[in-house]
Amino acid sequence: MSASILTVDDSASLRMAIRIALTGAGYTVTEACDGADGLARATATRFDLIVTDLNMPNMDGLSMIRALREQPAQAGVPIIFLSTESDAEVKAQAKAAGATGWLVKPFEPEQLIRVVQKVLGR
Amino acid sequence: MSIEDPTAAFRVEARELLDQVEQALLDLTHRLDDPALIDSVFRGLHTLKGSGAMFGFDALAAFTHHIESAFDRVRKGRARATLELVATALAARDHMRALVEGDAVPQDGAAILVRLAAAVDAPRTEPAAPPRSAGREAATSGWRLSFRLPRAALAHGTNALALLDELRALGDCTLVARRDMIPPLDQLAERDCLIAWDAELRGAVPRAAIDDVFLFVLDDMELSVTPLASAEAPTTATEVTPVLEAAREHERSAADQPAPDTSGERRARVAQGELVRVPAARLDTLMDRVGELVIAQSRLSQLAGDRHDLLLRSVAEEIERLAGELRDTMMVLRMVPVASLFGRFRRLVHDLARETGKAIALETAGESTEIDKSVGERLFDPLVHIVRNACDHGLEPPDERIAFGKGATGTIRLAAHQAGGAAVITISDDGRGVSRARVRAKAEASGLVAPGEVLSDAALLALIFHPGFSTAAAVTNLSGRGVGMDVVKREIERLRGTIELVSTEGAGTSITLRIPLTLAIIDGLLVRVGTACYVIPLAAVEECLELSAEEDRRSLGRSLITLRDRLVPFLRLRELFASDAPPDAFQKIVVVATGREPVGLVVDQIVGSHQTVVKALSPFHRGIGSFSGATILGDGGVALILDVAQLVALGQQIEAAMEQAA
Amino acid sequence: MSARSIGGWLVKGSAAIAWDAHGELEVLTFDLGGERFAIEATLVREIVELLPETAVPGAPALVGAVVNHRGRIVPVADLRAAFAMVAAPPTVESRLVVAELALDDETLLLALRADRVREVVTLAEASSGDAPSVGVRWPRAYMRRLVRSGDDVIVLPDLAAILAPAFDDTGVGG
Repeated sequence: MSASILTVDDSASLRMAIRIALTGAGYTVTEACDGADGLARATATRFDLIVTDLNMPNMDGLSMIRALREQPAQAGVPIIFLSTESDAEVKAQAKAAGATGWLVKPFEPEQLIRVVQKVLGR
Repeated sequence: MSIEDPTAAFRVEARELLDQVEQALLDLTHRLDDPALIDSVFRGLHTLKGSGAMFGFDALAAFTHHIESAFDRVRKGRARATLELVATALAARDHMRALVEGDAVPQDGAAILVRLAAAVDAPRTEPAAPPRSAGREAATSGWRLSFRLPRAALAHGTNALALLDELRALGDCTLVARRDMIPPLDQLAERDCLIAWDAELRGAVPRAAIDDVFLFVLDDMELSVTPLASAEAPTTATEVTPVLEAAREHERSAADQPAPDTSGERRARVAQGELVRVPAARLDTLMDRVGELVIAQSRLSQLAGDRHDLLLRSVAEEIERLAGELRDTMMVLRMVPVASLFGRFRRLVHDLARETGKAIALETAGESTEIDKSVGERLFDPLVHIVRNACDHGLEPPDERIAFGKGATGTIRLAAHQAGGAAVITISDDGRGVSRARVRAKAEASGLVAPGEVLSDAALLALIFHPGFSTAAAVTNLSGRGVGMDVVKREIERLRGTIELVSTEGAGTSITLRIPLTLAIIDGLLVRVGTACYVIPLAAVEECLELSAEEDRRSLGRSLITLRDRLVPFLRLRELFASDAPPDAFQKIVVVATGREPVGLVVDQIVGSHQTVVKALSPFHRGIGSFSGATILGDGGVALILDVAQLVALGQQIEAAMEQAA
Repeated sequence: MSARSIGGWLVKGSAAIAWDAHGELEVLTFDLGGERFAIEATLVREIVELLPETAVPGAPALVGAVVNHRGRIVPVADLRAAFAMVAAPPTVESRLVVAELALDDETLLLALRADRVREVVTLAEASSGDAPSVGVRWPRAYMRRLVRSGDDVIVLPDLAAILAPAFDDTGVGG
């Protein structure tokens, strides 16, 4: 079974790019359009990995990560966040919220795949 | 199947983002210190920059970064939002749009950035990025490591075993776990990561490669790394693999990253995950197919009705129901709220206010009223014309307004609501209104009316829509409207709509458009006149009456009938359409109305209601005036669709003539 | 004159005759009011039996009706009106010649009434001549060329010129 990945982003083009990159690498990808949608989908189905944007309407990425980590079932599910600029403060906040790793935009599809592989350990 | 193209998707998305940014900026001009608006602008720019960089729009990303930074400073209270900043951002928004479309003029961008720098306090110098010593240090023959992962690492999704595997993959590695921190079992939290490791990593491994392994936990873990041998070989180290460069970038700058944002978003968002984008042309094709299906279905119903086959009839009824539902569903698919149409006017009014030096407020109401997408698109140009006229000519300059005891700010109001099968859109202003004297002078000058000719107020105002009116000489200084209003009227009529102008001198002008909700399929009343069938749009029908032979005789010679104590003009369609066949004994009057004035249409027979798929007439027949289109009947014949607005106008002319004669 | 603008529309290839390199032109010939007419074969979409016509009150006699041709509303043109011929009842041989005229940005289908459709023939420019200025009772502007083919004289009508008044009548709107 290929690993299932949830990508959470309010930008449809970015979701599409992520989906194309990851499905091309053999992963199964599900999309969510904001934090609330992502939380709902992740709660309904346990994914092997979640890739999420931080800056989103409805529920931002940090709140979604926190909410997910409060669910015992989500413990140990790797969460990678995407951010436009790197900022120690945001990174610290995201890590404190429970994020596993990150990727700074812009990134190449190969970079995404390598980070996913790193976090999944395969 | 179309090939998925994220870049194309980005373009579409960028346009939407820029529109949202524009809306927020325009709102901001009224509420400069609304943090939600600042956030909204910032967020839009932020996404644009991030996604733009992803898809190779580097110039866009770089330019957007400057504007975003300015708004980030405002957001964090380091700068103030000013009208000049908003105006600059609006100009920047246009430039970004050009960058998205690929037709930007680079000098524009440079000029905007100069303006931006002046609009916000000179940007604080960002702390210089610490130079990275990327893998340039000398390699050693190996490293001794001692490390402990953050306590929450496992719960937060870090795969400790994967990290150890990565470490092993760097070189010859021996690992020893230390369990000294593991508490007694009863105090053990299941997910806590408490094991520490000692490791020896032998080989020419760059120090940075070790950091890469622990990249995501580096800041929170305990890690000590010491070279294995003191004899440092001056070998050239391999470059750090660039694989995780993007992840690593956080170390390059400590720039402003938005704080988590929880403020309410102004734009109404539907869960985008549930939306599918479909090219409008495909919807149109689908609409055509549905239209053909409706025609075929009505033919089937007619055939089934002629036979005494119950089974066939029940199938025909089932198909009729399904076709009807499909039609309704299809209509809904094509409906969009007028909000997006109205939204485009905020910028126009904003720009017009700047151009004319007038203070203009735009009010909108009924934005959730839905109209067919294609109708909305075709309404845009006429509306621009009307709004532009209102701003240019209708509204007075502030000093003049004050002199007349009005507020300095003029108001343009766009309102929409649904009435029956039509959307009613009203564009009103509180300006000086149409000067009858000037309209008359202009109409006389252009030979539309004879000097001194007596005209009703409505007839005088109607001159504004006359083709000869606006093509006459210079229109400068003409108070009120007149610039190409005939074009507007024609376009509205092409949409099978009507236009009505009401104006009070000194108080303002109001133009009301009634537009059918959809152009493609209408509910029609099928009537027979002589041997021919015609369709009357049901939305315009008020009632159907019988015209008794006696009433018919009495009304001969005058075309007015008493309807509930009210004289209503009527048209004998058999006369209008020069039908030779003898009239039926019991003719019917179909009372139709657009706006306030009803007109009766005398027909021979009311055949029934008919789902009408509207087909355009050829250029030969478009201008005749009595017909707005044609449709195909169940038997394959063609029925013309009556243009109610034109017939009502004709009825009113008759009424006016009767009044004068009386 | 290669094209003619009527009522804001440009009817292409109507006025000029596109003789090929050999000075020949393939046409469809048909009879109307005792005369023989021809239009370019490339313009002809279909020849159909008469369809039930719906009169359009107020329209010029030249294009006084419409028919349903395969789901499209197609105006019916009766060239008799242009050439001052007496209206005649249809016969079993009457047909509609559905022709496609290219306008600026759309194609206009037009059904031409014919008493009888003849054949597709090749006309030679060498045997064609301008309509004489005398001895013909029709408006000269409505004819592009007269072409001799065997014993017949075939009229190549100028559809753009013929249809122009119908546009002019109705172009401005009510």
